[in-house]
Amino acid sequence: MKKRLLAASLVLSAFSSFGSGYQLNLQGLRQLAMGGTGTAWTWDAATIFYNPAGLCRLNGIQVYASTTLLMPSTAFSNQVNSGTETTAIRSERQNFLPFNIYVGGPIQQDSRFALGLGIYTPFGSGLKWDNNWLGKYLVQSVNMKSVFFQPTISYRISDRLSVGAGFVYAAGSFDYTAALPVHGVNGPGQDDGTVMLDGSASGVGFNAGIQFRANEDLQFGLSYRSQVNMDIGRGNANFTVPASLKDSFPDTQFDTQLPCPGVLSLGTGWRFNDLTLQFDLNYTMWNAFDSLRFNFVQHTGSLQDMHAPRHYRNTLTARIGACYKISRVVAIMGGAAFDPTPVVNGFVSPDLPDADRYILTAGIAIKPLPGFTILAALEGVSTERRAASYNYGGLSGVYQTQAINPGIGIYYNF
Amino acid sequence: MRKIYIVGALAVLFSACKPNVAITTKPSPGTANFANYLAIGSSYTAGFSDNALTVSGQYNSYPIRLFEQFSLVGSDGPFIQPYVYSDNGYANPKLVLSHKTYCNGDYRLAPIDVPNWNADSRDSPFVSTANNGQINNIGIPRIRAVDYMVAGFPLINRWASRFYNNAANPATRPLDELSFRVRTQHPTFVTMWLGIDDVLGFALAGGQGDGTGAALPVAGNIYNSHDISNFNAFFNAYDSALNTAVSTSADGALINIPDILSLPFFNVIPVKGLNLTRRSLVDSLNAKYPSATREKAFDTGYNYFIVRDHNGNVRQAVPGELILMTTPVDSILCASWGGWNPIPEEYVITTEEQQQIQTAISTFNGHIFNRAQLFNLAYVDMHNYLTSFPSGFSYNGIKYSTDFVSGGTISLDGIHPTQRGYALIANKIIMAINDHYKATIPQTDVNKYRGITFP
Repeated sequence: MKKRLLAASLVLSAFSSFGSGYQLNLQGLRQLAMGGTGTAWTWDAATIFYNPAGLCRLNGIQVYASTTLLMPSTAFSNQVNSGTETTAIRSERQNFLPFNIYVGGPIQQDSRFALGLGIYTPFGSGLKWDNNWLGKYLVQSVNMKSVFFQPTISYRISDRLSVGAGFVYAAGSFDYTAALPVHGVNGPGQDDGTVMLDGSASGVGFNAGIQFRANEDLQFGLSYRSQVNMDIGRGNANFTVPASLKDSFPDTQFDTQLPCPGVLSLGTGWRFNDLTLQFDLNYTMWNAFDSLRFNFVQHTGSLQDMHAPRHYRNTLTARIGACYKISRVVAIMGGAAFDPTPVVNGFVSPDLPDADRYILTAGIAIKPLPGFTILAALEGVSTERRAASYNYGGLSGVYQTQAINPGIGIYYNF
Repeated sequence: MRKIYIVGALAVLFSACKPNVAITTKPSPGTANFANYLAIGSSYTAGFSDNALTVSGQYNSYPIRLFEQFSLVGSDGPFIQPYVYSDNGYANPKLVLSHKTYCNGDYRLAPIDVPNWNADSRDSPFVSTANNGQINNIGIPRIRAVDYMVAGFPLINRWASRFYNNAANPATRPLDELSFRVRTQHPTFVTMWLGIDDVLGFALAGGQGDGTGAALPVAGNIYNSHDISNFNAFFNAYDSALNTAVSTSADGALINIPDILSLPFFNVIPVKGLNLTRRSLVDSLNAKYPSATREKAFDTGYNYFIVRDHNGNVRQAVPGELILMTTPVDSILCASWGGWNPIPEEYVITTEEQQQIQTAISTFNGHIFNRAQLFNLAYVDMHNYLTSFPSGFSYNGIKYSTDFVSGGTISLDGIHPTQRGYALIANKIIMAINDHYKATIPQTDVNKYRGITFP
């Protein structure tokens, strides 16, 4: 008897980690500026990401580097049963700098073989709410970073057909904080318990593609970037709780796995004199993210493994872009994309609330010296206003996320 | 420089549109008038928590939460409650969570009386400093609907005696206090939550008394507080209070009686809690209790307790019977209570007594529902709402339930809500008011308030 007296079992319902749309699609500035298209056409060494088959089409070895400044902002307001929205809250301003480095090209003049290496950041997310916001027991801040290393080989079978593939090694980090629903004498807001998780992650995968040139002005491409499971083994789990509960929440370690989903892309490009149009479709296999599990090394009556259902669905993203060559020195780009959300209603969690994204892009490429190119791009992203709920954690509300992402890059052809 | 212009235009476009999820529905009172709110009720209404009335409990009563939200739709302040001075409990110590050593040497967290408690003379009496001495919450711990007709009630209830108008007059009834408040304050909106204590006293006493709702007064019109109130006396007193409460044509909400037996007070100690580890003890119990007094033979492990029922029979408890949280745990652990010695009847609620409690609750709730319809008032089905609590539900990231301590909704006495529990109750009342009066009163942020405080 009395055994139930202190089974202070908690939800930690969130543990949602990084949410949906954690795919970044910023792996090449010219491609970004063209609505994120680039499966069919080889523009520069960023093709190592967009379609490895294009690497053998480069004119010599190219060194490429770019970065993009991300400044996302998410707003939330809680929806109560009467339909009255009361609390409008905005996530704290954070800046991120995902980057890309590519080196590669045909191993010598007129060779059919090309080799290359890409280092890029295709997945990541970060969101920080006020420590005392309405959903603090689900998430206060979450951060996921990844860097992919992709050695790549490409082969030109004929003038029309080329193939390429790369092995992917991924390294990353993950951290998460939330309030725990136990408090000490000073009450919630001042004396909440907290949970902090952090760990490093790694995984492997591949990226393969094929490109087909019907003629000089009409090209097609197909690429498949495999799923990469980011394994976090023996991450740190630290709990701050009132002294009488410390035995129930010992500092321990945790294991988890975060899937970076596979993406199948189909693209085409047409050139009419100085104007090139591209159209891409991405099929992203988000259903790999069915649930999120945190397995703790040490368990107590209060601290059990967490299992949060996610049930993401696969998505089909449509992208369109154009590049207009104004002179031998300057080209301008523009594009648009519609990126539907993988998160179904009832599973929209505040760690990265997702909704259908509308994307507009623009950019410019300037070639001041032979072989040397400067790229600049700007992406604007807005989600719809989404009234959604996270049933597992009992939080519902209206979300909207917007971001403007300026990027700059350079490349040089040897 | 056409291209620069295009990029610049896009930058302006995107920096201009910040995410916007602004409020779209303005709070509205609907057809109700919240200008002057009066709360009527018992322990729950007073803000009783952790087995005592404290100032922090009062500051977090559900009427306060309601007033805060009502003030968004036209409620005028101030909302005066009869605050006590002390936060340690009036007129008895509150419970706090602390480490405690049991007779068998176990050392663990348990509710104990707050140490070094002393009665504070500043707690009583309370005199409102507001205009005409207004008091907007006349909730009195332990008051029953039938008490509304009892003359001299403030002389036997120390919470009432603190602030009742004419408290020393032996003719003063709670109904007179209500009438005085209505006459002097002209409430435009009332909430009334009476009836819990008309069954709770019976349950807390382990089912003493008649239990059928036919009990006779013990003196005058005073009924035994350890019995279920006489049904007809309840109907009569409830109607008198309600007629008085809305005599200024007030709008309002009537709140019904929750299923008290689902509260942790009745469920913390499992009825199958007799842990037998030694074979010799098993054999001696089987020898002591003839098979007619038990469902099946004792065995090692957990067995149903031996109890004395209200008919005086010593027998093994049957599944579904309830053992009260106030049963001395040391007696179970070290004095063979529930095994060699039966648990006394005042700690046991038998199946029959549970049936009596449920019958009384549904009879009273039927009356309350009927009156809500007759008077065209909002009806708050707290009974139905609290049935979702035992299994738990998630609210803004916290999983709430009626589990003791860990559930977060019920305070250390096992009966009365925590501050969070009261906030959840306020939201439930708001929902019913919004429904009935076509209002859009926003809900309160439950998680801001205290659950169980851990040392």
